[in-house]
Amino acid sequence: MFRSKRLITTFLCITLVLVSIFNGNLLYASRPELKIAGQFGLVYAPLMIAEKLQIFQKHGLTPIWKEYGSGAAVRESLISGDADVGFMGIPPFLIGWDKGCDWKVSMGFVVVPVGLVTNDPRIKSLKDFKPADKIAVPSPGSVQHILLSMAAKKELGNPTALDQNLIALPHPDAAASLISKRGIVAHFTTPPYLFEELEQSGFHLVTDDVRAFGTRFSFNVGVVTSKFHNRRSVHYRAFVNAIEESMAWINQNTKKAAELLAPEFKLSPEKTYKYMTWPGMEYTTRALGLMGFAKFMKEAGYIKKVPADVKEIIWENVKL
Amino acid sequence: MNNTQSNTIFKTIRQFIFITILLATWELSVRLCDLPSLLFPSFASVIQSFIAQTLNGELIHRMIFSLYLIGIGLSIAIISAMIITALSVCIRWISEWVQVLLAIMHPLPGIAILPIIILWLGTGPQSIIAVITISAIWPVIANLSIGLRSIPPTQIEVGRNLGLNRFKLTWFVLLPGAFPHILSGLRIAWARAWQAAVAAEMVFGASGGEGGLGWFIYKKRFFLETADVFAGMIVIVLIGLLIERVGFEWIENITVRRWGMTTHG
Repeated sequence: MFRSKRLITTFLCITLVLVSIFNGNLLYASRPELKIAGQFGLVYAPLMIAEKLQIFQKHGLTPIWKEYGSGAAVRESLISGDADVGFMGIPPFLIGWDKGCDWKVSMGFVVVPVGLVTNDPRIKSLKDFKPADKIAVPSPGSVQHILLSMAAKKELGNPTALDQNLIALPHPDAAASLISKRGIVAHFTTPPYLFEELEQSGFHLVTDDVRAFGTRFSFNVGVVTSKFHNRRSVHYRAFVNAIEESMAWINQNTKKAAELLAPEFKLSPEKTYKYMTWPGMEYTTRALGLMGFAKFMKEAGYIKKVPADVKEIIWENVKL
Repeated sequence: MNNTQSNTIFKTIRQFIFITILLATWELSVRLCDLPSLLFPSFASVIQSFIAQTLNGELIHRMIFSLYLIGIGLSIAIISAMIITALSVCIRWISEWVQVLLAIMHPLPGIAILPIIILWLGTGPQSIIAVITISAIWPVIANLSIGLRSIPPTQIEVGRNLGLNRFKLTWFVLLPGAFPHILSGLRIAWARAWQAAVAAEMVFGASGGEGGLGWFIYKKRFFLETADVFAGMIVIVLIGLLIERVGFEWIENITVRRWGMTTHG
């Protein structure tokens, strides 16, 4: 009895060691699985189309989707090894890079209009926000928070001038609060919430991405860890090609894409099409604005270092 | 008396040694295994950011704000619980209602009601106070009524025979009799109030100027300041220890232990 117990224990130990060796090294490189961490919304149309048209499978990959509620959660998923690639805003990416995460940008992912919408006719510019006026952003350190900070520096001379007004709310909750005029007076947001809020009577833009940042930029970037890029380079290429194919398909068949995605967004196909082709929306893999964000975030104290060259934070395939 | 005192000291020393070993293991495993500091910061770096965040006033400011919200929420919960229990002791059908309500509401985590609370009350401190109150009120009511019901009827009869009026009967017989239960109700309420306060702020993120420790942890998470996240947790732990050691154990010593109602040490 005692001997057989020991035998089983030894066997289990050997199995465990073998499994961990194979899992960690040999199998990692050959598995076609691609764990993708993203969020939900119009921005993610290329991923959703790739799923509907099985584009990843065409490129020899088996995608495993993981949907999160914020860029920070996507980032945590990459750090903990739950995901191979993740989509997040440039600021969350840079905060991770600054803190020593071993990763780079593999592609830009959609340029979208971002705007600060208010429900208060009194507020014409950032100067008009009183201390009690709450401004909703999805989270601290998000693209929207950094844009607000940029606008505050331009208009009020201090990047943290409005930090006391911040409230972190997910987009749907913030949109509901803004429309019902409860709790918040302004919301820094993206489509479709931006479009829906601006359709309300009396709602207007206080500032937007172009005024705050100066030019258009990639709202999201595809972030890939060095581990995945270096050890599964074939799959890395396949991933980039798949996204490029999906984006090209959307740009050539926007009407059809809108029809396919409308039920996901619970919008009519016409409205989805209108939103997908709104001025300022562009599905492109060019990575825009990386250094602009890095320089501002260093100046304002959100990160401690700036890449000396943009090559430090992009993989070799990225078009700027 | 002397014996209990030295027992307490030995207990504290043993617990202190255990904590020290735990912390040393933490520090050593981080250093020896070269764990990434993003996932697992060393204890030294946690202490560093704890000191830095205390000196710049942020942690203290956040702590005071959290305690302020918890203070209000808990007070409302305790006072309402006392009123409700008093009513249900006096009036039978209220007692039946409270029992049903308790069965429904007690298992429901306060934080689960947060989405509704936000719709009704908005996203300010009032919502956090509401969640704290809802989380804390049910354990207090439950323990109060269990405590009152657990008093042997003979004790009440003796009180009556001694000619105590209603008020004196409550003060000298019912309350002391139910006190061990009341105390454990308060302990649970305190713990649940903290959970509610921190959790609520991590869901809707409070707002810049007026956020407590939950907001501190939430904000640091988004900037990947893992050591600061730990520092925030340390403050919560320290407050918890302080309240338990100084507050509850002191109350226990001057009440139930002096009355000889508890045996464990």
